[in-house]
Amino acid sequence: MDEKFEIVAMDYLSGNLTEGEAKEFETFLEAHVECREKYEELMQSWEQLQAMQTPDPSEKMDEAFFNMLSSVIEKEQGKAPKQSIVSMLSGIFRPQWVIGSFLLLIGLGVGYFLRPEVEPIPTQTIAANNETEEVRQKLVLTLLDQPSANQRLQGVSEANKFENADDIVIKALLKTLNSDPNVNVRLAAIESLTNYVDKPEVRQGLVQSIPNQESPILQITLANLMVALQEKSSIAPFKQLLKQKELDTTVKKRIERSIESII
Amino acid sequence: MQALTDNVLMMKVKSGDLDKLGLLYERHKKKLFGFFYNMGNNASLSEDLVQNVFVRILKYRQSFTGEGPFTAWMFSMARNVNYDHHKKVTREGVSRNVSPEQVDRGTGDYLNEAMDLQGDAHLLRRALGLLSAEKKEILLLSKYRELKFQEIGEILGCSEGAAKVRVHRALKDLKTIFLQLETR
Repeated sequence: MDEKFEIVAMDYLSGNLTEGEAKEFETFLEAHVECREKYEELMQSWEQLQAMQTPDPSEKMDEAFFNMLSSVIEKEQGKAPKQSIVSMLSGIFRPQWVIGSFLLLIGLGVGYFLRPEVEPIPTQTIAANNETEEVRQKLVLTLLDQPSANQRLQGVSEANKFENADDIVIKALLKTLNSDPNVNVRLAAIESLTNYVDKPEVRQGLVQSIPNQESPILQITLANLMVALQEKSSIAPFKQLLKQKELDTTVKKRIERSIESII
Repeated sequence: MQALTDNVLMMKVKSGDLDKLGLLYERHKKKLFGFFYNMGNNASLSEDLVQNVFVRILKYRQSFTGEGPFTAWMFSMARNVNYDHHKKVTREGVSRNVSPEQVDRGTGDYLNEAMDLQGDAHLLRRALGLLSAEKKEILLLSKYRELKFQEIGEILGCSEGAAKVRVHRALKDLKTIFLQLETR
């Protein structure tokens, strides 16, 4: 009871009670004379304490304080560069950055899962490539069989479009080179075959076709090609060519030079 | 007027804006000085102790969390400063603190004397001086309106109710001593 009174009295004094509670306390005080006396004594000393005057601090205190503060600030500024590095580092971890990088990660993640299905497409294109290669192969073979020289030329130029011509095409080209009645077509076949000179069968085919050629242009072209390739096995067929009586003299000289440079 | 509350200012101090401590000092220097002075320290010692409180605030600024009000934090520092000072004095066996009521009249602080001479005020100060340190402390803390009982309890390490009871009893004791002095 005593303690409760003490608590409520303090609350009342310091104005911590609600209006209702305060009224209740007042009626309680009126009813209990003893308590009222106690409360009045309490209030008196409370008010005395509140009214108690304290002298003001002197200006010396202000002076001392601000001296202290400025010296501390100076000291802190001495440490400033170190601090600025720390704050720079902590700047990296600022919420904005964290949120920013978090969003970036989310974006990357979402992008990864929503990415278009990449794998099937290459297989499709490869398949498509295969298909076009096949079609082209057929086209080349058909074109090379055409009676029109124009179309056979077209066939050879189609053959140039292969990234990797297969044996069938190469055989067809070699056949064209050896047996095509038109010089231009044969010439084009040589040019087309130079794309595959690193294949042994192509070199061999070229060398073997040397004695078959009657056109001077083709003979010279082949001679130049053999020099460029430094194909030693071409010497024998060239020598064989030289034995032919009807050989053009310029071609003859040219072939002789070529043989020398190959050797 | 207090657009920048004490807590906001103190948080700025904490984050390195030490200039803001000057504002806090201006706001609270009188209260702190009064606290030390009424705790029984003479004026110049009280000034030193106020200074110590702010040195301590600077030193421990990182421990300010901003959860409770700044004044509660500041007064618990003040309490420690006062306690440390008196511990040191008793250990050294030198009584450097001379309470106002122990000062013989005519020692120089004429202004204070003139005020103290005004009857009741002087008696009250003497009565306060005779109270135990704990009671004096709690009365002085409760004198500052911005400290709620709950915060006083926090400073002293007791519950809100206990703080009220203690203030109440300290007031009662103060009254008793005051009356004794008066009848003498």
